[in-house]
Amino acid sequence: MDSRLLTSAVTLRVNGTVHRLTLDNRSTLLDTLREDLDLTGAKKGCDHGQCGSCTVLVDGRRVNCCLLLTVACDGSEITTVEGLSDGWSLHPVQEAFLARDAFQCGYCTPGQVCSAVGALREMAEGRPSAVTVGTEPPSGAAEIRERMSGNLCRCAAYPNIVRAVGDAAERAAEWWERTP
Amino acid sequence: MTGTTFGAVPWGPPLGEPVPRLDGRAKVTGSARYAADHTPAGCAHAWPVPAPVAKGTVTAVHRAAAMAEPGALSVLAHDDAPRLGDADDRTLAVLQSPRIAHRGQVVALAVAETLPAARAMAAAVRIECAPVPPDLELTPEHPRLVTPEGAESAQGDFPAAFHGAQVRIDAVYSIPPLHNHPMEPHAATAQWLGGRLVVFDSSQGSNAVRDALAALFELEPDQVSVVSEHVGGGFGAKGTPRPHVVLAAMAAMAVNRPVKLALPRGLLPALTGYRASTLQRVRLGADTEGRVRAIAHEVDTYTSPLSPDWRERATQPTRSLYAAPHRLTRERVAPLDVPSPSWMRAPGECSGMFAVESAMDELAVACAMDPIELRARNEPDVDPHTGRPFSSRHLVECLRAGADRFGWADRDPAPAMRRQGRLLIGSGVAASTYPAEVIPSSARAHANPGGGFLVEINATDIGTGARTVLAQIAASTLGIGVDELEIDIGRTDLPRAPLAGGSCGTASWGWAVHKACGELSRRIDEHQGAVPAGGLTVTVDTTEDLATDDQYTRRSFGAQFAEVAVDVDTGEARVRRLLGVFAAGRILNPRTARSQLLGGMIMGLSMALTETSTLDLAFGDHPERDLASYHVASCADVREIDVHWLAEEDSRLNPMGSKGIGELGIVGTAAAVTNAIHHATGVRVRDLPAQPDALLEAMIAQGRI
Amino acid sequence: MEFLRPADWTEALAAKAAHPSAVPIAGGTDVMVEINFGLRRPDALIDLNRIVELREWEVGADTVRLGAAVPYSRIIDELPTELPGLALAAHTVGSPQIRNRGGVGGNLGAASPAGDSHPPLLAAGAEVEVASVRGTRRIPVEEFYTGVKRNALAPDELIRCVHIKRADGPQQFSKVGTRNAMVIAVCAFGLALHPATRTVGTGLGSVAPTPVRAGAAERFLEQALDEAGLWDSGGVVPPAVAGKFADLVVAAANPIDDVRGTAGYRRHALAVLARRTLDWVWDEYRGKEWGRACA
Repeated sequence: MDSRLLTSAVTLRVNGTVHRLTLDNRSTLLDTLREDLDLTGAKKGCDHGQCGSCTVLVDGRRVNCCLLLTVACDGSEITTVEGLSDGWSLHPVQEAFLARDAFQCGYCTPGQVCSAVGALREMAEGRPSAVTVGTEPPSGAAEIRERMSGNLCRCAAYPNIVRAVGDAAERAAEWWERTP
Repeated sequence: MTGTTFGAVPWGPPLGEPVPRLDGRAKVTGSARYAADHTPAGCAHAWPVPAPVAKGTVTAVHRAAAMAEPGALSVLAHDDAPRLGDADDRTLAVLQSPRIAHRGQVVALAVAETLPAARAMAAAVRIECAPVPPDLELTPEHPRLVTPEGAESAQGDFPAAFHGAQVRIDAVYSIPPLHNHPMEPHAATAQWLGGRLVVFDSSQGSNAVRDALAALFELEPDQVSVVSEHVGGGFGAKGTPRPHVVLAAMAAMAVNRPVKLALPRGLLPALTGYRASTLQRVRLGADTEGRVRAIAHEVDTYTSPLSPDWRERATQPTRSLYAAPHRLTRERVAPLDVPSPSWMRAPGECSGMFAVESAMDELAVACAMDPIELRARNEPDVDPHTGRPFSSRHLVECLRAGADRFGWADRDPAPAMRRQGRLLIGSGVAASTYPAEVIPSSARAHANPGGGFLVEINATDIGTGARTVLAQIAASTLGIGVDELEIDIGRTDLPRAPLAGGSCGTASWGWAVHKACGELSRRIDEHQGAVPAGGLTVTVDTTEDLATDDQYTRRSFGAQFAEVAVDVDTGEARVRRLLGVFAAGRILNPRTARSQLLGGMIMGLSMALTETSTLDLAFGDHPERDLASYHVASCADVREIDVHWLAEEDSRLNPMGSKGIGELGIVGTAAAVTNAIHHATGVRVRDLPAQPDALLEAMIAQGRI
Repeated sequence: MEFLRPADWTEALAAKAAHPSAVPIAGGTDVMVEINFGLRRPDALIDLNRIVELREWEVGADTVRLGAAVPYSRIIDELPTELPGLALAAHTVGSPQIRNRGGVGGNLGAASPAGDSHPPLLAAGAEVEVASVRGTRRIPVEEFYTGVKRNALAPDELIRCVHIKRADGPQQFSKVGTRNAMVIAVCAFGLALHPATRTVGTGLGSVAPTPVRAGAAERFLEQALDEAGLWDSGGVVPPAVAGKFADLVVAAANPIDDVRGTAGYRRHALAVLARRTLDWVWDEYRGKEWGRACA
């Protein structure tokens, strides 16, 4: 087959930087970030959307980037864990994970952090989850447990993750307001 | 290791303080690099091709379609792969023979410029093989079940004592195959630099990886460097060198450039070990007051032809757990044509304690006794197996402290009596225990002339907080703060040290770090406190410190409490509360210790209710290979959970007075949960996990609902 | 693998006609799993992400036109009143990350008996709008599933949207699983009450080779509610009626034993779900005076 048919030119905006790449059509966003852009924060835990270790934010929403073809992300705005802190000051979720010891081996942590950022935004926007009761804005441990369930942690730092996400809730909202 | 006096680490800050993880910032920002996060210039990618049958011979490897893939570099197979030396581990002799030992064994390796190309190549390789019928099923009558040397023990006259007992429990328990599934699938990035082999590997102990690679590629150990700076969990699956690292090194040699190989999740159960299924018969003979006179624990399990010496040593904890004059333990193992089982968190103890602690609960019910009182009544004065004293024990203290915290005093022992709507509620308890061992280690400590210290040891931090706690030990010994020293771990270029496993990492490494720092302090004193211009360096080894005769049994203990709710309509069981109270010597960092114990307990919860795999008799491997079909606990499965520990002083352990805690948390949890299910429903769960279908059927059969 | 990126629906249909073996992909949560598993090695993919109308919905007088690629998270947020059963089921699809990408089109395309969106579509009443360069047709959802992971699409057709009846009464969805999240259903059940027409709808998941309706159970319940005048009185559904309804739901199932549960357990649990969801919808019907004020 004509090799031109097997590759595509893509423009990605990752953590504010524009990348123009020509890629194998089969490349997933996860592999592109890791292997082509050396952004190795997002991790490959299962490659099937079953563990959440590859969670990043695409156009502000948390997604499993192992299930996204890079060519389908042409023009998307992507935020990875590397884009949450400016190299010095940490995102409130990252600070809370440190303060609560919300990880052990750390492999799922970039995905947990990105997922928490997405989850807190969803909660702040009043989006209901399976455990939301009534019309009050969702909050509390049960909500966080449900909303963080797309991110497996075999070290099982879950109790500390739930506390960390709870701690970060208020300050994460401020972060979103600062970040266009 | 007779000594009751250690040159003990000064107890106090920073040791025993909740120091935050030194690698925490790297982990929350994503800058911590794991084995697959290294991409040397020119790095190629490899993807394994698994054996399509359980037993047989590869008769042809058709490469043409794979090599037609753009970017294809090579397809390695037994007929052209580099020949390897002997590393005394047959799972590592990859691509050396056409013989297929189990389904999923790697029979070819595709190497390509890019990851998608390698993967497509692997799919295009066609393996022809001549299959032969495999032997896959373990039964108590299996003709090749044998009792290896050292796998049985007997004291007194068990048969007579059991026969004559007033109360007898005789039950069979089973545990399915269980998979470690650390979040980081095994990966290695290998490159040959001149005659040297440099490897980034996800391993719990890189010295063993270096030794294996040196033997396989017939190099001197110092020609091999293995880096395991950050490791994404292991739980035993990365405790020994695994085939992926050999394949990566072999491929790098074959294509003459760096090669990265990350195993797909679905191949982990076949290539990196798992907890083999066990069938366990426990017999307890007691008087009506609950004094156990006779105890027998017999286990049948299996291994693979590639790991002939392996067995799940599930009777080990039973030997030292409860007093009884008449005792019998036996483990039988059959070689089956299955993937090699190996270590999974608390190998032996975790499996065995499910059975024994379930049987103790059955005995408590049969004697109409409180299960905590039953255990207290059978507390031994000395290790019943060896006759040696325990260096410390405190099991009963854990049970009593846990009872207070859990609210056990109000518990009505009658089963199936507490109902909330369509839920039945119950609580259960079980004991936990794990050996507290130490392995020789070396370490190096260096004082800079301008101030500051560097401590070097090839310890591995697989999430335990090893980096942090070793810095605390060093700082306490040197009488400085953690921020006044640097700690360097995770590379074979550093002083040799044992693996992170068997709950002996911190004790082993810490002893060496303490020794090095202690000697460095003395050297500095010799210089009247002034470090000379070239600095001062001390390298130590603890082999001789550990070489003396042992007079004690050293184990950690704990008590696990669970409260469950079982849906009477669907049989769904959920854990509402978990509490663990442990006696593990001095807790060196309460922050990381708490996390590790919680994590173990949650893995135990998961083992009790959701984790299950099947050895498929049609295919010879495990169908539940991915994280959608193999259910590990998710965030929503963990509700109220708490951990406490006793202030245990034990001067017969090591200079820190610490016991390992990596496995203690998972031991006994499953029994606490299933004992709670019995209390809730009256149904005794003897086969893990407690799945809704079996639980409901049993509740209906017993007329409970 | 060729990657086709049609800019609009007409181009998409032309691409599918030219490449009938090409696999359409939108959120990727169904298709990519199969590709990453090695279950599928398509020569070509048709990326539907640029086709805006697939991510749009429109509420009409009687039906909701739901674009095939509207993500589950938006169904939950934006259509809980119009499509309450589907919104409830959407809450339990995969994980939050999956729900941000995946939509009903992927579930229909994959046609797995365990897909969470099937029971509420069956219960509410829905038609799948499929199209090709040859034209457009609407397939009643119960005729869409033709076998295990097989559907009624012709090789040149694409799923455009689903026309789902707007809720005119309470709807419920329930499933049984071992884990609290990211769980593949052992069995699932959707139930919808339609007070306006005095009918009920059911949908069963994970208990037969395809998602199915329990037609006999629906007719029985409709008749029982009618005969006892319960639609008007809002009276309690007699336990015998609920029991018979559950039995008939189970009769429509044809489950298998697998690692997640035995066939016998699936039947039992299905009966439990049928009774539970009937309790819930009827309580809601009585409480909210759905359509009874004018009856």
